[in-house]
Amino acid sequence: MPRYAMVIDTRRCISCMACVVACKAENDVAPAHFRTRIREEISGTFPDLRAETRSELCNHCDNPPCVYNCPTRASYKNEETGMVLLHKNKCIGCKACIAACPYDARYVDPVKGVVDKCTFCDHRIAAGKQPACVATCVGGSRVFGDLDNPNSSVSILLRQHPSEVLLAGAGTEPRVFYIKHYRTPR
Amino acid sequence: MEVTVTGLNALAFPHMHIWDWRVALYLFLGGLSAGLAVMAAVLHLRKNGELVEGEAASWIAPLCVPVVLGLGMLFIFLDLEHKLNVYRLYLTVQPLSPMSWGSWGLLAFFPLSALFVLATLPERLYGWLMLDSLRNLARRLTESVRIIAFINLLMGIFIGIYTGVLLSSFVARPLWNSSILPVLFLLSALSAGAALMIIVSRSLAAKLFFTKLDIFLIAAEMTVLPLFFYGQYTSSSAHRASILPFFAFTHEYLWFGSAIILLGVIFPFALVLKLLEIREGHVTALTPAVLFRMNLSAALVLLGSAIVRFAFVYAGQLSHYL
Repeated sequence: MPRYAMVIDTRRCISCMACVVACKAENDVAPAHFRTRIREEISGTFPDLRAETRSELCNHCDNPPCVYNCPTRASYKNEETGMVLLHKNKCIGCKACIAACPYDARYVDPVKGVVDKCTFCDHRIAAGKQPACVATCVGGSRVFGDLDNPNSSVSILLRQHPSEVLLAGAGTEPRVFYIKHYRTPR
Repeated sequence: MEVTVTGLNALAFPHMHIWDWRVALYLFLGGLSAGLAVMAAVLHLRKNGELVEGEAASWIAPLCVPVVLGLGMLFIFLDLEHKLNVYRLYLTVQPLSPMSWGSWGLLAFFPLSALFVLATLPERLYGWLMLDSLRNLARRLTESVRIIAFINLLMGIFIGIYTGVLLSSFVARPLWNSSILPVLFLLSALSAGAALMIIVSRSLAAKLFFTKLDIFLIAAEMTVLPLFFYGQYTSSSAHRASILPFFAFTHEYLWFGSAIILLGVIFPFALVLKLLEIREGHVTALTPAVLFRMNLSAALVLLGSAIVRFAFVYAGQLSHYL
């Protein structure tokens, strides 16, 4: 069984927003809502500043608070792929999952009246394609693959470079990894 | 270190305003009905039901419980984005979801509070019951009123705690993610219940009893509220930032600053009024002036309870980690 994950190499992100647009077009995301976003973070004290651009999306956590807080089992963790998905026909729109998500990755689809979120483009994966945001990423910042396959690009990247997850302290065990600096060559 | 976060495309940023006045009102009314159920049960259980003699609150208070609860449940229903799927709540039990066991709890509480109404309804009002079977049931339940009162007391405590647990279970919202919150909400619910009992009861003895009870509950609430803020302040940076809206006193957080000032005035004022009433406890008649003071202090407690729910529901949604 595959264990899908995404690696985001922040050094390769050029903030072109192609992923945001591709996701919106591919998944027919409701107006004024987005399943992924780009965040720019500037840290340090002037003039020694460091800018980081980072894409954010659903982290498909292994310990997902949105799934635990769902009262109807609409939100679930797919045991085969490890992706956090939704049975939209079971969603009552109580918004508990939105409140529970520390990554603010969910929203209410105002047209359908149910909660929606990133699915890692599971329909594309089933057809043997990459998620739309990965396929369109011009800088090669987004990489998608199977963690259980040692030869997949995500496994190789995670072996080669130190990586981080967002809010590791929250204990959600995310499946989206960020590479912020490369390992110094020997 | 100076850290600045700027969104590259603010439009793509999430809309975190998810729960509005309907949820806040539900939490207030749910808490009020729970507190009222506990207080009505106490009225029936205390001193072998001595306070019930000739006291209209003995049946008015239980009657108010399902009415207030039903109104609260209506507002939470109105908040659902996909109302037709509401039956899905009752096709599964999710032990890790407070909303799941809360909705089952409400399903149990509503008929139990209705049984309490039947058990306490005076025989002269049996005409209100349309069916003979209901009248017979009411007659039979009257014999077990103390058992039903006790069950309602337990259910009231459960629902009172649940309204706080509902918010405190979210690790993503630092303001809510505190184990003190359910205690605060329970105290607030019990205090509001006692306040409503003061308003609906007729006898001086019952009014004074619930006034004394409310003094302890308000004092406990006034202790727990600062402890909650202290706990947040001494916790992580996100927890500390989460209480900023209450103490920033800027135009951006006008309502939260106003809420904390109001709470700082309302509760001590209500407490002083109640202490004065106790001092005048030797009076044999309820003069209009005494009644006014009692109702005013009770109304202040109810207002304080509503402010706590509204302030916490809205401020919690401003708090986040990322």
